[in-house]
Amino acid sequence: MSSLHTLAFEIGTEEIPAFDLHKATQQLEKLVPEALVAVRVPHGDVSIHTTPRRLIALVEGVADATEALEEVFRGPSAKIAFDAEGNPTKAAIGFARGKGLDVDALERREENGAEYVFATRSVPARDVAELLPGVLEGVITGISWPKSCRWGTRGEYFSRPVRWLVALLDERVIPVEFAGLTAGKLTCGHRFLAPGPHEVARAADLLDVVENAFVVTSEQAREQRIREGVAAAEAETGYRAELPEKTLLEVTNLAEYPTVLVGTFDEEFLRVPEEIIVDAMLMHQRYFPLYDAAGKLTNKFIVVTNGDPAHADTIIDGNERVVRARLSDAKFFYEEDLKHPLETYVDRLDEVVFQEALGTMKDKSDRIVALAKHLAADAQLGEADAADAERAAYLAKADLVTNAVVEFTSVQGVMGSYYAEASGEGEQVARAIADHYRPRFSGDEPPASDVGKVVAVADKLDTICGLFAVGQGPTGSSDPFALRRSAIGILAMLEAGLPVSLMKAVDASLSTYENGGIDFDRDDVRAQVADFFVTRTKVMLRDSGASPDAIDAVLAAGVDEPAEVIVRVRALEAARKDERETFDDLATAYARANNLRDAQLGDEVDEALMGDAERALLSAVGDVEARAAAALASDDYAAALAALATLRGPIDAFFADVLVMDEDESVRANRLRLLNRFVDVFASVADFGKMAKGGK
Amino acid sequence: MPTETESAARADEQAAAGSLPPTFQDVIMNLQRYWAGAGCVILQPYDNEVGAGTNAPATTLRSLGPDTWRTAYVQGCRRPTDGRYGENPNRTQHYFQFQVLMKPSPDDIQDLYLGSLRAIGIDVDAHDVRFVEDDWESPTLGAWGLGWEVWIDGMEVTQFTYFQQVGGFECNPVPVEIAYGLERLTMFVQGVDSMFDIVWSRGADGVTFTYGDVYLENERQYSAFNFEVADTDFLFQEFNDREAECKRTLAANLPLPAYDSVLKCCHTFNLLDARGVISATERMAYILRVRTLAKAVCASYMEHVVGMKPAEEGAASAPEAEAGKGDAR
Repeated sequence: MSSLHTLAFEIGTEEIPAFDLHKATQQLEKLVPEALVAVRVPHGDVSIHTTPRRLIALVEGVADATEALEEVFRGPSAKIAFDAEGNPTKAAIGFARGKGLDVDALERREENGAEYVFATRSVPARDVAELLPGVLEGVITGISWPKSCRWGTRGEYFSRPVRWLVALLDERVIPVEFAGLTAGKLTCGHRFLAPGPHEVARAADLLDVVENAFVVTSEQAREQRIREGVAAAEAETGYRAELPEKTLLEVTNLAEYPTVLVGTFDEEFLRVPEEIIVDAMLMHQRYFPLYDAAGKLTNKFIVVTNGDPAHADTIIDGNERVVRARLSDAKFFYEEDLKHPLETYVDRLDEVVFQEALGTMKDKSDRIVALAKHLAADAQLGEADAADAERAAYLAKADLVTNAVVEFTSVQGVMGSYYAEASGEGEQVARAIADHYRPRFSGDEPPASDVGKVVAVADKLDTICGLFAVGQGPTGSSDPFALRRSAIGILAMLEAGLPVSLMKAVDASLSTYENGGIDFDRDDVRAQVADFFVTRTKVMLRDSGASPDAIDAVLAAGVDEPAEVIVRVRALEAARKDERETFDDLATAYARANNLRDAQLGDEVDEALMGDAERALLSAVGDVEARAAAALASDDYAAALAALATLRGPIDAFFADVLVMDEDESVRANRLRLLNRFVDVFASVADFGKMAKGGK
Repeated sequence: MPTETESAARADEQAAAGSLPPTFQDVIMNLQRYWAGAGCVILQPYDNEVGAGTNAPATTLRSLGPDTWRTAYVQGCRRPTDGRYGENPNRTQHYFQFQVLMKPSPDDIQDLYLGSLRAIGIDVDAHDVRFVEDDWESPTLGAWGLGWEVWIDGMEVTQFTYFQQVGGFECNPVPVEIAYGLERLTMFVQGVDSMFDIVWSRGADGVTFTYGDVYLENERQYSAFNFEVADTDFLFQEFNDREAECKRTLAANLPLPAYDSVLKCCHTFNLLDARGVISATERMAYILRVRTLAKAVCASYMEHVVGMKPAEEGAASAPEAEAGKGDAR
């Protein structure tokens, strides 16, 4: 029995982008074991360790050799393999060649009563150390990067240039080759704290050598170190830090030896709106802002550095200077912007392109105003609210050309609301401007007021209709204008109770484009947009746990307003959950009735031809028809469903007592007419046939 | 700027250590000497308006083809829309880059770069120097590359890029470009918070000239010219004339002078942009016109200077840049 070894492999690189590194780490967790298994290298645990400058794979329990193997393949039958004279045919020769054997090496054997030829191939045990260079090179080239780079005179690609390779099987160097490099025993440490080179005596030492050279070798360990540093900073300052996930991951992968430091900026900058300061720190500098107990931004911030902690003061000083310059800019921009009322920026929106074929943001603003006006009327907002909605729509995009937003893009909307207030616009208008990008993501709060919702719907719907009109709707994974997210946002606002018709709004939006001289096939685009919303509605409902059959049942009833679909599906699901058995029976009965249904016969029934069960059903149907109609008229879908549920007894009794296909044709026709009436009652509520077992 | 005390503290520190921080011209001369030592041809600035050191022909055109090329040069850059009448401490319509281009990229280029920072008095071991992903793309040049912005204690001082394509052609071998923002870098070294406070030179008799002494009036006048005075009719005409001249020059198989016309078109476009007379929807069309010229010049350079017949169009086209994002720098 051979002994087991440790394999250590390190790809040393120039700084790999933070998010690409994260994804590569995940890939390696699979890639390395797969590459070993592919050539049958017996091995134990695989662990992956990565930093911006290195990707390390450690493999325990690597055997000296692969196991020898005898492979037997059955070929053609002997009758086919040999001719009458007993000479091998082309079939036999081809089979042997395919297995890398001479035709003489084939054996004849009986299997299941027939004679076949067999090829036996023995795969000898192979020295693992000889296999490894190929395996490891495959790992290097097997990583897929969002963007990859060539360098020097090399033709190879990697995220960034590869500068060194270490590959050791215990003490033995595995000479992996890539991009002109050959793996050896030398690694590098932290770029400044212990650059090296450092020699690695044996595979099991690699992590120790690297870690002793000021490299924290895993994302988790670096994140842990950062979180501990942040906790210490919080304890020291008495403040609380916000660590947005994305920025945290980025700073974790921007350092090999992260150290948390606290910086300060002049309090005078706190007069600048908080959002700008946070944007400047988080987006531009990857600093974490610190908040006081009341949740107010303070003038302290957290820096995660890769520098030598012994020089913390110098590093803090430098970072503080950067923040000062940024915040001076921000303050300057903010104060400049405040010199003019927000309204004066609206005209300059013609300097910003919305979409090439759809004109500028000024054009978009004009359309949003028209659409907001339509929505406000449809929602029957009061005069004051309607005026606010129109005003907010007019001003919503104005901040895009202000200095502060040009410089700090994430504060769009919020800055508009500050400027609106400073320009004497009403509070509701200012709020609606800030909120009109909401909901920004699935689960985000929609704007609080109806006015805010109207502007937000108008903005999003304008984008959706416009892009469909110029053939730029989302396809597959490509959705550059985030139309899907916009649609889900609109649905969320409709569901939150904005009482408007989506399809009427779509019509109004398409009219604004027609009036603006955009050329498109209106009916076709309308149908595409309607279909897009139906699909989004289905996805949204499914994501929130609604069952597909309930969604189909409601859609089949011809409801095309997403808000109505949502309400009905929710009500149907709730009703069905409360009375599972009733609804299952009803669905089965409905499906049966619907199958027998003969529309040609109409629904004029003759009571004289009826027995008790039929009369009971007829009376129940009449009753339910009236109740369902009344319930739907007052938008009480739950009541309509409750009414339908009362049909369960009568329809079950009907089917139990009556043979529909009576021999007497008039009786039969009468019963079918009754079933037609029964089915018709459902038509405007939900197609229960979609919910029947097997009817999906 | 509420910063004199700390700036002074830094300067004091350096004075106490027996040396005043390097002047602006020291920084330039040290960088030139350093990169000359690394085998670069030290060029003088290109005598045509450019928006970035990258756009000088010593980088753009010389990135093409198989020949080894190494150069370093100071380049004055003009970005008319960035003018602030000399009132913003960090932003001007004219500034200087120090540009290094080495083809093929040397294996130890990051260390070479760090050495250049040491050469201008930055102790990189005592600061936080980081390479932060920042890929570069110039839609106008049909060029893109991968690399980083280099941060020192959070301040971006350098763009570091491995060019992958220029003019739609694969770069082979791959050049590396290092573009230092000289003002930023010197502000960092000198510990000042306004570029106009940079000490440009210091005589043995103690007479100093600041960046403001040299360039403040320039900023005021050019900002006014760029935003208010430049004759737009003249500029529109110039753009058309330069475009025609570029094509005529290309017809004579002279890509180098043709490239001058591309640069003139870029600058003219930038001035028109600063004058606010190019609508947002027209912008794209102008950028496309410049790009067409730039690609044609690169193709001509490949054919007539490098001596390689350009491969089929499209076989090596750059990933298209997002519309509207492009500037004509």
